[in-house]
Amino acid sequence: MKTNARRANRLKLLALAALVLAACAAYLTVDVDPKYLDFAMRLRIPKLAVMLIAAFAIGGASLVFQSVINNTIVTPCLLGMNSLYTLIHTAVVFVAGSGSVLAVNANAAFAVDLILMGLSATVIYGYLFQKTHYNVLYVLLIGTVLTSFFGSIQSTLTRIMDPNEYDSLLTTLVASFSNVNGEIIVFALAVLAALVFALRKDLALLDVITLGKAQAVNLGVDYDRCIRRLLLGVTLAIAVATAVVGPISFMGLIIANLSRQLLKTYRHSQLIAGSALFGMLILVAGQLIVEHVYTYAIPISVFITVGGGLYFLYLLLTKRRV
Amino acid sequence: MRVQQLTKQYDGKTVVDAVSFDIPKGKVLSLIGPNGAGKSTVMGIISRLIARDAGLVDFGGKDIARWKSRELAKKLAILTQSNNIQMKLTVRELVTFGRFPYSGGRTTPEDEQLIDQAIAYMELEGFEDRFIDELSGGQRQRALIAMVIAQDTEYVLLDEPTNNLDIYHATNMMRTVRRLCDELGKTVILVLHEINYAAFYSDYICAFVDGRIAKFGTVAEVMTRETLSSIYKVDFEILEIEGKPLSIYY
Repeated sequence: MKTNARRANRLKLLALAALVLAACAAYLTVDVDPKYLDFAMRLRIPKLAVMLIAAFAIGGASLVFQSVINNTIVTPCLLGMNSLYTLIHTAVVFVAGSGSVLAVNANAAFAVDLILMGLSATVIYGYLFQKTHYNVLYVLLIGTVLTSFFGSIQSTLTRIMDPNEYDSLLTTLVASFSNVNGEIIVFALAVLAALVFALRKDLALLDVITLGKAQAVNLGVDYDRCIRRLLLGVTLAIAVATAVVGPISFMGLIIANLSRQLLKTYRHSQLIAGSALFGMLILVAGQLIVEHVYTYAIPISVFITVGGGLYFLYLLLTKRRV
Repeated sequence: MRVQQLTKQYDGKTVVDAVSFDIPKGKVLSLIGPNGAGKSTVMGIISRLIARDAGLVDFGGKDIARWKSRELAKKLAILTQSNNIQMKLTVRELVTFGRFPYSGGRTTPEDEQLIDQAIAYMELEGFEDRFIDELSGGQRQRALIAMVIAQDTEYVLLDEPTNNLDIYHATNMMRTVRRLCDELGKTVILVLHEINYAAFYSDYICAFVDGRIAKFGTVAEVMTRETLSSIYKVDFEILEIEGKPLSIYY
């Protein structure tokens, strides 16, 4: 029975991976004139790569975050990372101007985003997690307060900003895959790979960590250290995803829960894979529809927010223990 | 295992005050006392879940803080009251976690054998593939004990194991505690509210009042009218049933 359930899960993951592949293939080939294949690929492959990277980062980070917090209806975006991103972007344009290297050069912008978000997230959240002893309610409450705090600073900045600057800023504040720069892909991939490598031991302990602090300590896990490292990893992964595609991490709630519902297991290697695959499927298929059915009339973040909101309500109403 | 001069303060209030005692090996030791006497805090410190302010917990000649967590997990098992497992976990998977300190996530055939034995010992064979959150409180408690057995430690620490259990399950729980000691040779230390369970099923009792040890001794030494009355500040009568002292309070 045990091995059967594992095998069934492996099959489900394979099927999911096949769907993702099909979506990717469709995304690359739909409506492509063979004459301009080269050109189309140059446009589409970077976009696809960015979607896959973002899906992996958000899917993995959200699932890890839920398991660490021991609650399946939270997402790292409740920490206020999205508004932090918005604030940093606005501040960069405000201070340096929209014509500066920091805003125009994709690599520079990405590096600034990543370094600032990584640093402030590490300092702010690292301090808060420690101060509140990883109490979920405090962390989430403070996250909500920080969201409006960052939001207010940001709106103050936009109010005293040059309207033209604001105009050019606005396009970068909405999650989109339309203006993707291929150069940042390597950068983002390298950061994620380093992150996974640095945390590989802590990730292997996730199964035990979800048993709760007392059990994890009982089974010989250095709980506090492990939690601290994982939470920092989550903030950095979200920082990467946000820096690559903009504020979209609400999707994490959907895909992490879809993965839990589909796989019904405690094995995080499978859950994380499922979450990442669901993310890829949603992003790639969603973007396919956005580009070819709605011809860019609606950005994909609208779908994700509406769909995610409905799914969130469904989770709240159907779950016995929340 | 020896506790020396253990002290813990919360906001300047001393809840455990220079507590020292030796834990007799291969015996059942119950920690009793009124609410707020510090027994659970002492237990928490021994099981390294609560940080102490001063003192020492000597385990095998080394302070527990200096042990590698993973090595300690092979010697010392803990079971607390707070076990709200959110994951979809079957009984067998839970018991398998007991082998984690030995083999990480990958079990060896030897591990599987010990898991089978633990499940059989707690008579959980029919429930192996049931999910934990679908079990009754008594069954879940048995599954957790099976995990502790699979962990194969010399010492077992139980924090109020009879809490939230009815008389039938609580009594079974206490019988299991006795069996862990008599049949498997483990040293069991538990926090109990129910004095008569402590009297009937343990070898030694350590009674706490106001963060200090009021009395440490064999069951017969502690279960006297005078001692219990002074600890709990109510009147006691002591009866003898099956050669063991039982208390009546009113």
